Amino acid sequence: MHRALPSSRWIRGIRRPTSRIVLPTVLTLAAGLGLTACSSSADSEAKASAPVQGGTLRFAVHTQPTNLDPHSSPSDVTALLTRHVVDSLVAIDAEGKIKPWLATSWTVSPDQRSYTFTLRDGVRFSDGTSFDAAAVKANLDHVVDPKTKSALAAGLIPAYERTEVLDPLTAKVTFSRPHAPFLASLSTPYLGIQSPAALARGQEALARNVVGSGPFVMESFEPGKLVTYRRNPDYAWPPQDAELKGPAYLDRLEISIIPEDSIRVGALSSGQVDAIGGVPSVSVKQLEANPNITVQRQQASGGNYNYYPNTSAGPFADVRVRQAFRVGIDFATIVKSLYFGVYEPATSPIAAVTVGYDPGTRDLQRHDPQAAAALLDQAGWTGRDDEGYRTRDGQRLVVRWMFVRAIAREQRPVLAEQVQAAARKIGIDVQFLDVTLSTYPGIAARGDYDLADFSWQRIDADALRDLFHSTNVPTETGSGANAARYQDKQVDAWLDRTLETGDPAERAELYASIQRKVLEDAAVFPVYSPSYVFATSKRANGISWEQPAYPAFYGAWTTGE
Amino acid sequence: MRSRRAAIGGRLLVRLATSVMVLWGAVTVSFCALHLTPGSVEDALVGTTIVTPEVRAQIAVDYGLDRPLLVQYGAYLGRVVSGDLGYSYQRHESVVSAIGAGIGPSLQLAGAGMALALVVATVSALTTAGRARWIRGLASGAELVGTSVPMFWVGILLLTVFSFQLGWMPAVGGDGLTGLVLPAISMAIPVGALLSQVMREGLERVLQQPFALTARARGMSDGGVRLRHALRHALLPVITLAGWLFGMLLGAMVVTEKVFSRPGLGVLMLDAVHGKDLPVVMGVVLVSATVYVVVNTGLDLIYPVIDPRLREAT
Repeated sequence: MHRALPSSRWIRGIRRPTSRIVLPTVLTLAAGLGLTACSSSADSEAKASAPVQGGTLRFAVHTQPTNLDPHSSPSDVTALLTRHVVDSLVAIDAEGKIKPWLATSWTVSPDQRSYTFTLRDGVRFSDGTSFDAAAVKANLDHVVDPKTKSALAAGLIPAYERTEVLDPLTAKVTFSRPHAPFLASLSTPYLGIQSPAALARGQEALARNVVGSGPFVMESFEPGKLVTYRRNPDYAWPPQDAELKGPAYLDRLEISIIPEDSIRVGALSSGQVDAIGGVPSVSVKQLEANPNITVQRQQASGGNYNYYPNTSAGPFADVRVRQAFRVGIDFATIVKSLYFGVYEPATSPIAAVTVGYDPGTRDLQRHDPQAAAALLDQAGWTGRDDEGYRTRDGQRLVVRWMFVRAIAREQRPVLAEQVQAAARKIGIDVQFLDVTLSTYPGIAARGDYDLADFSWQRIDADALRDLFHSTNVPTETGSGANAARYQDKQVDAWLDRTLETGDPAERAELYASIQRKVLEDAAVFPVYSPSYVFATSKRANGISWEQPAYPAFYGAWTTGE
Repeated sequence: MRSRRAAIGGRLLVRLATSVMVLWGAVTVSFCALHLTPGSVEDALVGTTIVTPEVRAQIAVDYGLDRPLLVQYGAYLGRVVSGDLGYSYQRHESVVSAIGAGIGPSLQLAGAGMALALVVATVSALTTAGRARWIRGLASGAELVGTSVPMFWVGILLLTVFSFQLGWMPAVGGDGLTGLVLPAISMAIPVGALLSQVMREGLERVLQQPFALTARARGMSDGGVRLRHALRHALLPVITLAGWLFGMLLGAMVVTEKVFSRPGLGVLMLDAVHGKDLPVVMGVVLVSATVYVVVNTGLDLIYPVIDPRLREAT
């Protein structure tokens, strides 16, 4: 048996474009006319303690899925929509421990390169075919097949070599080099086990229907509108720790897609859906005031929403200018006032709920404009131009921000403008580059920017490897998440060691050292920890939470009707 | 008689040829526009995720992105002629099936919105044209509000009142008629207001013509004058405008589709433009251009029916 070596789970850096129409005025006006949505169809029944069998749960998500195959699609909504359809070989708990699921046990070779899984007997896919070692091979081979065009899953197992079927219930997975994060990755729906018969139908079919062995069976998918599921009555193989042991409570599950924030909130308050995801932070107070609605926030694990200075060129190549930017701007206050306390200000590159987070980073965070001024003076930016910006040799201190406005969510453009205004106070001219999703990779590869921003949700501190390892600096030949273009031999060595060691204590120590080092070098400006906010009416019960960032429906049940 | 038929046939041929030219132009312009905007298609597809070089190469090969631009253009035109609009980069389906799924709801919505707008505009113009000052003032005031309010605002207001408050209509997942009512109304309000303005102005002009006076002098009722004489005259500019609006609505519908969470061509197009999904963009452009051409050709055929003077001209 091998201990958990949790790792990469999730890329949600920058989401696919979902343009939305934000309409604060209409709400204000509607409120003025006395037309605010009040809660109708109030289900006054108190929440019963015993789960109810049967019924339909209606959930609404805010993102439009274009591809339902988790092996291929990188989007988080795909994981949300398929988690209860596909099972995984292993599960992961909140502490990052790996638990048996479709694999009852496993061993890791001494060189950390091969994993031998013993599989659970009697598991059937919902199309009637059996789960076996050949299915494991078919799935992992499908993930790395270039034809799958995997935008995330294949990146989770970069050193994958092959899977061998030792006997019907034993599969051996081999990597070309040690890859300790494998088991944690394996617990995600992205490496979930689908029916080989369904995989054989090709990408076009998989994009619209996924067949697994999970507690729900996907029934229909109307793009842009609705995904429906029915209970899998034969389900008897949940993760070892699951409270429920057999089929799900719900007869049916309907997940509709409502991209417009105010409509989604209105649909919940008027009882047209039972629960919604992606609650906008401006609506949290309004919903919390409604006695029939419960709002839940869950901090997402992995990389926070951070700003990354380009440490290889431009003004931020000087560590003193980076430090000045970090201590000169009061990020915490800006975040608190903008998000009404829904999102926590960040102190580390990774979120506090992440396994491997170092609480000591809190002491490294401070706001000190005078120190910032002193640092900028030391760096030679002593002059001032007529607009009040600092200059050196007649050149203004300009920071060019690679900001993709078209796909920015969670009011990030407003946040960026407030940071711009705060930077002006310490004499730094922050300018926004005109960047679109299709020009972003080119600019990132050339390093033609001074500042970048994104969040990087992952299951654990392995996110740090993506963000700060020198091999992950974006280049013309390879994309990467090290937008700070940070290259430090010591940090590289620590990160490499995390791939090889299975000792949790050593890993924690390594991750703590890395967090402190990158903060001391100001290779990252932590901004806020994204939370997934979802709201449920009294009808909806038992919706659980799965890290890093989505609700799960296996144990859900409804009252009434 | 024969020569007249030949003339009509010739006109039809010319009409057909110009239509083809219009469609070719639309496709070519959109192809150029999308290739001239910065950023490569592979980059747009990969976005900011990390993919292996093999996946990147596979993307290029699959979509023929490794070939010269002119070859891609030629190949595309060739396929279009044979009815194949290509395969979507992002949606994992053929463009024909993506458009097939979107065009039904779009045409339904545009058709229902347009029909409602025409009915409302006709009724309001007929009843208010040439009436007392305060009635006309009231009507034109309402029209001004109707054309000024943004479509999304109307949509959200309608949902708030009729769905969230009164619970008469579903906000989401409504099929058939119930799901169509509110979106159609929200589209019909600005369009209907505009058409009503144009139509009343036309009616008022016609009602001052000597022949209207003559008709009244013959003892014809006011309603009869309006319906039998004035309406026909006032209808021509409205029909022309309606044809143009219908085409425009197909594009403007994206707002209504977003607010009412409806699938359709507008949302399809928006996502495709964001994601540089060229085959879908060009497919939607082609289909929209076709709808334009068909509607306008249809209108050309209707004009002589409405206005006998145009019959003489042909």
